Amino acid sequence: MFDLLQEYIDQDRIRLDRTIHTGRTTYHDPCNYGRRSQQLFGHGYFEEGRAITRACCPDFVDMQPPGADNYCCGAGGGLWSMPYAAERVFHGRLKARQIRETGARLVIAPCHNCRDQILRSLNREYELDIEVKYLWQLVADSLAGPS
Amino acid sequence: MTYTFRVSALAAEFGVHRNTIRNWIRNGSLPARPGPGRQYVMEWEAYRALCERYGRSPRPGTDRVKDPAMLQQMAGKADLPPVFLGRRSPTFTESPAWIESCLACGSCAAACPISGVDGLDPCRIIRMALLDLEEELLATDWPWKCTLCGRCEESCPMAVGIVGFMRHIRSLRDRERVPGPIHSGVTTCLERGNNLGIPEQDFLALLDDLGRELALSCPGFTVPVDRYGARLLVTINSKEPFTEPDSMKWWWRIFHEAGESWTIASSNWEGVNWGFFSGDDEAMRTIVGRMVDNLQRLNCSALLLPE
Repeated sequence: MFDLLQEYIDQDRIRLDRTIHTGRTTYHDPCNYGRRSQQLFGHGYFEEGRAITRACCPDFVDMQPPGADNYCCGAGGGLWSMPYAAERVFHGRLKARQIRETGARLVIAPCHNCRDQILRSLNREYELDIEVKYLWQLVADSLAGPS
Repeated sequence: MTYTFRVSALAAEFGVHRNTIRNWIRNGSLPARPGPGRQYVMEWEAYRALCERYGRSPRPGTDRVKDPAMLQQMAGKADLPPVFLGRRSPTFTESPAWIESCLACGSCAAACPISGVDGLDPCRIIRMALLDLEEELLATDWPWKCTLCGRCEESCPMAVGIVGFMRHIRSLRDRERVPGPIHSGVTTCLERGNNLGIPEQDFLALLDDLGRELALSCPGFTVPVDRYGARLLVTINSKEPFTEPDSMKWWWRIFHEAGESWTIASSNWEGVNWGFFSGDDEAMRTIVGRMVDNLQRLNCSALLLPE
């Protein structure tokens, strides 16, 4: 996914409009694309998603801590579908705090599961008042059309 | 049962000078003996009597040690079954997680965002496995409340495969007792090609409708189903056609703009492999195998798995 989007950008097959998402934006590192990919395949996708997000959003701020030490959204491992809502929301308190500390109004999540947890659960439970987009949704909404 | 104190702490507790405490100890009115680290030790009863004399209550928590009578009673309970440690269950030692190298340092417990929830703690789980408390461990819901996020592993100085081990414990759960709809999703996927059991006809009709809608803003757009020789095979998260079909259009708009050669398989298009979460390796292998079959059948060279 990251490699494909980056390929489109690098080869100039898509052009991105940086004037659409001008508000402060942050990026969530999904555990499976980051830590797990690093462990299984020797490469964690940390930087790629940020680079693509930065290519769309001029006001980008990282969560703390970013990358390999980042916190899980709280719904990984199938928790989004399991009957442990209290644990899932409790786990997400750290993600909610991280998001709030960035002051971002837009959170980019490159994973279905993380996006659902942040958008549909944490946003409400912790009154974050944020917009959450998939990485590819951000790219699609930033398409500038043919030159 | 004893009470341990430092002269300065006891002086503060009773509101007297440190020298007063030292004098009491020296003249024997405070029956305490010196211990290690400039500490003194006295019988808890003597401490209680001292408190009583000065109209104070003993510090909370200092009397929690069981009284001698109770200890004696417990020692007499020879009918308690002895616990033998050291016999390692092959259930756990055959896992490639290298749990034997655990140093019990607790770094994982510190890194885990839900340590303490329902008594869960990665270090505790590894130690229980090492002490052969297999039955007790399998009875808990801990591995299911863990999100497999891997912060524990990231902090482990001995590189114990904690996440893999947690998933291994999940795999030992009787399939009928897997929490939530995850196992039934796996079963549905194996039987009907996707986790939600969406019939092929409905799926294809939906793709057709959505494709026509998108063609209004992207002239000439159609959804390429089973296109032989496409570069990219795209899998679908079944929640999308089921609950938010329009969200599939984001990728499609990008493909259209980039002039990508892509396709969706008419069957076995599911991109979410719940066998990973339920600890079902066999189902996981079957579902991955189907993706590979689709790649080969349609002669695609890349797989997009946006999950």
